Amino acid sequence: MNENLFASFIAPTILGLPAAVLIILFPPLLIPTSKYLINNRLITTQQWLIKLTSKQMMTMHNTKGRTWSLMLVSLIIFIATTNLLGLLPYSFTPTTQLSMNLAMAIPLWASAVIMGFRSKIKNALAHFLPQGTPTPLIPMLVIIETISLLIQPMALAVRLTANITAGHLLMHLIGSATLAMSTINLPSTLIIFTILILLTILEIAVALIQAYVFTLLVSLYLHDNT
Amino acid sequence: MLSRVVLSAAATAAPSLKNAAFLGPGVLQATRTFHTGQPHLVPVPPLPEYGGKVRYGLIPEEFFQFLYPKTGPYVLGTGLILYALSKEIYVISAETFTALSVLGVMVYGIKKYGPFVADFADKLNEQKLAQLEEAKQASIQHIQNAIDTEKSQQALVQKRHYLFDVQRNNIAMALEVTYRERLYRVYKEVKNRLDYHISVQNMMRRKEQEHMINWVEKHVVQSISTQQEKETIAKCIADLKLLAKKAQAQPVM
Repeated sequence: MNENLFASFIAPTILGLPAAVLIILFPPLLIPTSKYLINNRLITTQQWLIKLTSKQMMTMHNTKGRTWSLMLVSLIIFIATTNLLGLLPYSFTPTTQLSMNLAMAIPLWASAVIMGFRSKIKNALAHFLPQGTPTPLIPMLVIIETISLLIQPMALAVRLTANITAGHLLMHLIGSATLAMSTINLPSTLIIFTILILLTILEIAVALIQAYVFTLLVSLYLHDNT
Repeated sequence: MLSRVVLSAAATAAPSLKNAAFLGPGVLQATRTFHTGQPHLVPVPPLPEYGGKVRYGLIPEEFFQFLYPKTGPYVLGTGLILYALSKEIYVISAETFTALSVLGVMVYGIKKYGPFVADFADKLNEQKLAQLEEAKQASIQHIQNAIDTEKSQQALVQKRHYLFDVQRNNIAMALEVTYRERLYRVYKEVKNRLDYHISVQNMMRRKEQEHMINWVEKHVVQSISTQQEKETIAKCIADLKLLAKKAQAQPVM
């Protein structure tokens, strides 16, 4: 029996050695590379998916922004696979750890902003003031826009962490609810089990959507700043 | 150590490489030799087209075949599961139901959309192959067209003599026509000259005729003397008076 509700979120260690590194390095094993033109079905579908997402994501950038395409595509694939693998029972999801998400969000956001300030200072500073504000409001609005800019990496990291963690927690809670009700009242167990199934479907969607949202926002910051 | 040996050897071989300290890492890579084995002289056997057969997506078929002589694999599996459950080696917890729902959704998804995805992947591969095949066929078609054109050209060459005959006939006709034209012109010129001579002769004769007549008239007129003229005139007047008498008589009647 797991000790408490949050046992699945502690970073796993094997005899004191962090296994989280191995767990983070595992998803690329599921995406094989191939030097042939005609592959098996797995590689064909994966390559088709990656081509689709990369085309969809990188069309809105100019040449300078497209140098980030490898970074963004690998980001979305990593987050999607890690989230989906975390839905399996007794698995550990690295994206539930705020440390990892901060480590992903802060460098990406910072590099986008710094790139923007280095190349086009006027454009980057112009983001601080929306068009058409009445003059007395300007100082306050600049402060608000600055805060909104500085909070972007935090928001990115915390959004991903909170969504995935909340999903996992909910699944755990409803699972334990079914466990408890299974001894008391069987039909209600079935109802709760149905809720669990619906939640699973939601979790799968959330896993994919969060990956997409993360990457989309980073690409948006990039677009503003190239 | 090997890199140092190579460095000293390089330094002795080429004195310009004496300051080769910066080549250190590169030299280490250079000492790693690739392609040391013999290249394959025959084509390497191709990779198998389909992977090994798997039951339930996880357990390879060989496992079942291995177990069948000794014990039934399903019985073994059931026994292991029941043993783990009863001895609480595997504890039924909240995670169990989560696992049940996740695996249930996954199995449902695979069963329902698996063939669709498989067909889609096959279609993608087929499209790639079809593209290459089309390129090949286009090339073959192009060459075939060239061959056919060449053959038709060769066939046409056989019939070229008709063209030459027609041209020859044309030229012969043109030559004939020019010859006849020139002949006719010559005839006309000659006739012109001869006509000229004839008309000159005619004119001369006419002129001589007229001259002779005039001469004769003149001399005749000269030869009539004055006496004869008076006699002739008196005779004419007498004749006329006679005639007048005869004439006058008749209208009265």
